[in-house]
Amino acid sequence: MEYISNQLINGICQGSIYALMAIGYSVVVGITGMVTFTHGEVMMLGAFAAYYTFLWAGNNLLLGIFAAFAASWLVGMAVYKVCYEHFFDAPRHISLICTVGFSMLIKNLAQIIFGANRMPMLNIIDNRVYQIGPVSINLLQIVILAVVIVLATVLSLFLNKTKGGIVLRAISQEKTAAYMVGINVRSTAMVGNCIGCGIGGVAGMLMAIYYQTCYATMGGTMSMKAFSSSVLGGMTDVRLSAVGGLCIGVIENLGITFSSANFRDAFAFCFLILVLIIRPQGFAVKKGARP
Amino acid sequence: MNRLKEYVKKNQKMILILILAFAVVFPLLGFEKSTIRIFCRILMYMTLAGSLNITNGYSGQTSLGHAGFFCVGAYTAAIITTRFEVSFWPIMILAGIFAAVVGLIISVPTIRLKGIYLSIITLGASEVIRILALNWQSLTGGSFGIKGIPRPVFFGFEFDSPLKFYYLFLGIALIFLFVSHRVINSRVGRSWMSIRENELAAKSLGVECSAAKMMNFAFGAFWAGIIGAVYAVYVQYIDSAVFTLDEGFNIMSMVIIGGQGTLVGPLVGSVVVNGLTEVLRPIGVWRFVMYAALIIVMMWFRPQGLMGASNSILAGGKVKMKATGKAKRKETTP
Amino acid sequence: MSEILRTEGVCRYFGGLKAVEDVSMQVNSGDIFGIIGPNGAGKTTFFNVCSGIYKPTKGKVIFCGQDISDLSQESISRAGVGRTFQTTQLFQFMSVLENVKIGCHMGTKTKLVDAIFHTKTYKEDEAFAEEKAVETLRKAGLEQYANTLAGNLPYGIQRRVEIARSLASDPKILMLDEPAAGMNRLETDALRDFVEELNSQGQTILLIEHDMKFVMNCCNRIMVLNFGKKICEGSPDYVSNNKEVQTAYFGSGTFGKEAAKYAEN
Repeated sequence: MEYISNQLINGICQGSIYALMAIGYSVVVGITGMVTFTHGEVMMLGAFAAYYTFLWAGNNLLLGIFAAFAASWLVGMAVYKVCYEHFFDAPRHISLICTVGFSMLIKNLAQIIFGANRMPMLNIIDNRVYQIGPVSINLLQIVILAVVIVLATVLSLFLNKTKGGIVLRAISQEKTAAYMVGINVRSTAMVGNCIGCGIGGVAGMLMAIYYQTCYATMGGTMSMKAFSSSVLGGMTDVRLSAVGGLCIGVIENLGITFSSANFRDAFAFCFLILVLIIRPQGFAVKKGARP
Repeated sequence: MNRLKEYVKKNQKMILILILAFAVVFPLLGFEKSTIRIFCRILMYMTLAGSLNITNGYSGQTSLGHAGFFCVGAYTAAIITTRFEVSFWPIMILAGIFAAVVGLIISVPTIRLKGIYLSIITLGASEVIRILALNWQSLTGGSFGIKGIPRPVFFGFEFDSPLKFYYLFLGIALIFLFVSHRVINSRVGRSWMSIRENELAAKSLGVECSAAKMMNFAFGAFWAGIIGAVYAVYVQYIDSAVFTLDEGFNIMSMVIIGGQGTLVGPLVGSVVVNGLTEVLRPIGVWRFVMYAALIIVMMWFRPQGLMGASNSILAGGKVKMKATGKAKRKETTP
Repeated sequence: MSEILRTEGVCRYFGGLKAVEDVSMQVNSGDIFGIIGPNGAGKTTFFNVCSGIYKPTKGKVIFCGQDISDLSQESISRAGVGRTFQTTQLFQFMSVLENVKIGCHMGTKTKLVDAIFHTKTYKEDEAFAEEKAVETLRKAGLEQYANTLAGNLPYGIQRRVEIARSLASDPKILMLDEPAAGMNRLETDALRDFVEELNSQGQTILLIEHDMKFVMNCCNRIMVLNFGKKICEGSPDYVSNNKEVQTAYFGSGTFGKEAAKYAEN
């Protein structure tokens, strides 16, 4: 029983990282209106940026977050310029394949630049364990949960309360109309895309801290998790994507409690496929609008 | 350029026969074994990329997990031929059918879903298949893979050298092209293309979109399974590390660079990509960067690929206004 | 005068929005049945319910004695409902001939195996499709465009291609969604002649149109929708003199009367 409850805590913690990935992903997809396969690589670069920051500046988490965010922001700009801006009027599959190409590009470049080895990311946060009743939770998990909650809240406030956020939401709904009221859609979409990527970068960093390692090919699995969570939440809905991420994290960890850890990824996908068979739109609720 | 096209069109049969004769005679000119292996690879990927092109190019469902079907075919053949004393040929067909069944299963949830969901599910399914192959110790040998897969024998004629396998791969590629050509130029192929171009309209004309898509998926998976089986007996040792997502992207890059929506496209793509692999060997890992860059460049300037169907939605969705002579705009005044 | 399409109290709601409410009507064979109504009256939604794109929230759609309200779009098309769309949905990158050939999909039954081995079915089907496509093109007066890419044609011709494509499947009822939208006078008149000619050959037609002249001259029965409800049905004369219809189109009060007077002149 204790084992299961600990796995549940692990699940929630990991799920919250997935949730952050999914939030970033949904922001990208929602605002640009295009699907990206580069998200995993963006997250990987965020992790590496944090890794080198920790190497130069010591284990300063805030600095790490900032570095991850900034690095992913820059990559997000590149992704936008290469994969989206040119293809707003083209069929969707073209920009999709373009992002696949870009992700291959980044991954292989990263393998050349950073090497193919796993880099250790040890003891960024003290390994202290707290015992609350039957569950034990360590400091790392608390920090991760805190970072995710803070970031998600900030993003939510930004999107709903500030003028910039409203502009972003406007272009995510209707680009032509946004043009007409004088919004510079191209540059705003880029900012939106970069925000999504930046959040993804932070999530990548958290992932690296959680597993205490980062490596050039880590993006593949992470992007799959981001997809699954985001698809569960209906692709563009930020809040539901976060819920989807939590679900995937919990189900994975409960799944491996009853079988082998090798099947971790398989659980996530099987769950995703099952949900999609039953409810193609994911958790999203259809509103009373014309489809 | 146009003259060349016309010339090719006029003498299609002759050119085909010439190319075929070239393909048959060429490897006999006394190449090293390693060179013949490269030709084998090219031919293998021709069929593999061609089968992906059936789904991606003809029915417009962007599948990214083709390595999964390849994997299913290879493992089916490897498992059965190492455990039972059976002839390879029925097993090859069985591997294809098995892959097709897996393809059908994967395509079931995608019936109700559109475009991108299909890409994600195929990607996920391909990973699930690989994870199964890696971890199902008792059946697939886990991370050790399967060793000592017996060579196929055809009426006492054993396929034991790359040259012989070259002809086997050539034969399969030819059969694949022949069958696909016939299917594409029939009612079935037309219904696939109508789905690619405009699904709503296709439905209004009574095309059973779900069934057609599933059949399309199974057809593509079938050939991937067959080529997987041949691959297994060709290399005699398989493990799950071959069938990663990167392999899937590799196949996809051939289709995209060569061209989607035409039968020639993947053939060209396979020659170009595998040729580049050999030519660029000195620059090592940078060549993967090159492919990736090539894909992006392709998407920017020629989204349908080198030899792709330029008159399709794959080419970027804009109708190029060309004066075809026959279509004249009516000049009318109200 | 047998009945082809009948709806019984069809409703379609989008959440709280009642796009179509309680519409019952009947189309007999040989009719040209027009549906008119102001913008947003639910005409296209009603069409989509009849052709299976939407399922009716309540009520039944009965086609040739068969309840089709729960069938999929493809099954309804296969039952014999051909339609065109408000925004043309052509296979833009295929030639006109290929477009029409896909229209022959239902009339043929080549399977994968037939195609691979070129069986008798395949040969018959190919010959049939070719012949049928050419014949349909001739009927629609589109022979000279047969090898042009559909997307390259002028708008009026595209509409015509869409109708021809639908005709190739030998529909029992042809549903045209605003066939004359965006056409100039001449094109509209040509279209009307075409529709009337089709009808004289026994084709039942159901159409939505905004162009009053077109509808009044062409249709033999008209139904008027307003805010999702049916407000009137009958012959063109009856409909055009109906007070409620005039109110729906021109509003009520002094301004409405002025507008109606203006429209009459």
